[in-house]
Amino acid sequence: MPNNYRLCTVLAVFALATTACTTTSAQAQSSALETYNRAVYNFNSQFQKYILKPVARGYRKITNAYTRERISNALSNVKEPIFALNHLLQGEPVQSSKDIARFAVNSTLGLAGTYDVAGQGWNLPKAKTGFDDTLATWGVEDGPFFMLPFVGPSTPRAAIGLAGDSLVNPVYWATINDANVHDKIYYPYMALNAVSLYESGMDVLDDLERNSVDFYETMKSAYLQNRKGKAADDNAVSYDFGMDDEDEDY
Amino acid sequence: MKKTIFTALITALCLHMNIAQAAVDATGAEKFIQKMTDEGIEQIINANVSKAEKQTRFKKLFNDALDLDFIGKYVLGRYWRTATSQQKTDFISTYRELNTKVWSERFDEFKGKNFEFKGTTPSNSEGQIFVNTIVPMEQGEPATVVWRVKQEGNTFKVIDIIIEKVSLTMANRNEYTAYIKNNGGNIDSLINNLKAKLK
Repeated sequence: MPNNYRLCTVLAVFALATTACTTTSAQAQSSALETYNRAVYNFNSQFQKYILKPVARGYRKITNAYTRERISNALSNVKEPIFALNHLLQGEPVQSSKDIARFAVNSTLGLAGTYDVAGQGWNLPKAKTGFDDTLATWGVEDGPFFMLPFVGPSTPRAAIGLAGDSLVNPVYWATINDANVHDKIYYPYMALNAVSLYESGMDVLDDLERNSVDFYETMKSAYLQNRKGKAADDNAVSYDFGMDDEDEDY
Repeated sequence: MKKTIFTALITALCLHMNIAQAAVDATGAEKFIQKMTDEGIEQIINANVSKAEKQTRFKKLFNDALDLDFIGKYVLGRYWRTATSQQKTDFISTYRELNTKVWSERFDEFKGKNFEFKGTTPSNSEGQIFVNTIVPMEQGEPATVVWRVKQEGNTFKVIDIIIEKVSLTMANRNEYTAYIKNNGGNIDSLINNLKAKLK
């Protein structure tokens, strides 16, 4: 428990620090934040290059696509209660009950979540959400882009959302009472989550990086565009910018 | 009074005609993307021909379907105005080559996949429209791919591809303009860096 609180505190401090900076001059803040972001980006790149990527390659070598899909499904299934809680907080009780039904069906008939029986046969498709979306629903502003060490692109709201999600993670609560079990299950679970996620996007990331002149900017643009798109209501087209304006910065 | 009403009606009619003329042929735009993706899948990805022949076919399809001059100008942003005509020519040519190379390598990943068409969405920009498609994936939710199409007369061209709400041209613009800015406004540095990626 103290470890997770520490993580939450660190994330919250990052988030608040970047938000509090709005009182200083906008240009100085933007410049300082950019320097910080690029430094963290360089750190994360080294971490990925020397640790995460070799581990992800090893993971790919000892598993086949079928096994990786089962593992990915099981890891995702564990998060269904987080989706359910957040849908409830967002005022969507029907979707919340569907998340719980998905969790129940996939944990049993889906063999501990390794098969998405609920999505394929029961017409209960996965509806991912988190505390970040809940905060957005409550009207909390996103804040400026910033890089989180080890995690990657983020914003103050996304960082707080991530901390909130990790606080309500069922694996965290299921192992909290026994430090020995916690160490043996929770940390390997977190590590497997990171490796599985990275492995699934590794080829795309490599391809983008290889063909990019400034990968940090590409990543930042993609991350912010995707968030803006998700935040827009269903009928709005977030990417309908004027393509004739040479001076417009986005 | 009658004259005023008559004038208003004529004005409204003229305005309506102008709007109608400026409107994009949504069915035509959708058919254009459908033909392009069908050709790509049948005549390139699934075709039983050599890799070199596939690349030749892809290059033709890609260059015919995309308005890379328009896209290239957009992605250079404010630096387009200060670039010399030689730099503009060099940049467009390099950008065209790089994109052809990159996408011919990526295109094979669409093997075994199909585009499902989900109608069109109007754009605020005159003569442009978004054609919405989804690509069902083996696992998870389908990927959304939106094609921004520009119509000139009876000709359609793709000017942006938006994957999962991420516009590729805007991502390129953000990346390239940041690179030039961080390199003291040196456009040649960007062009040389892009050329190095062609090797």
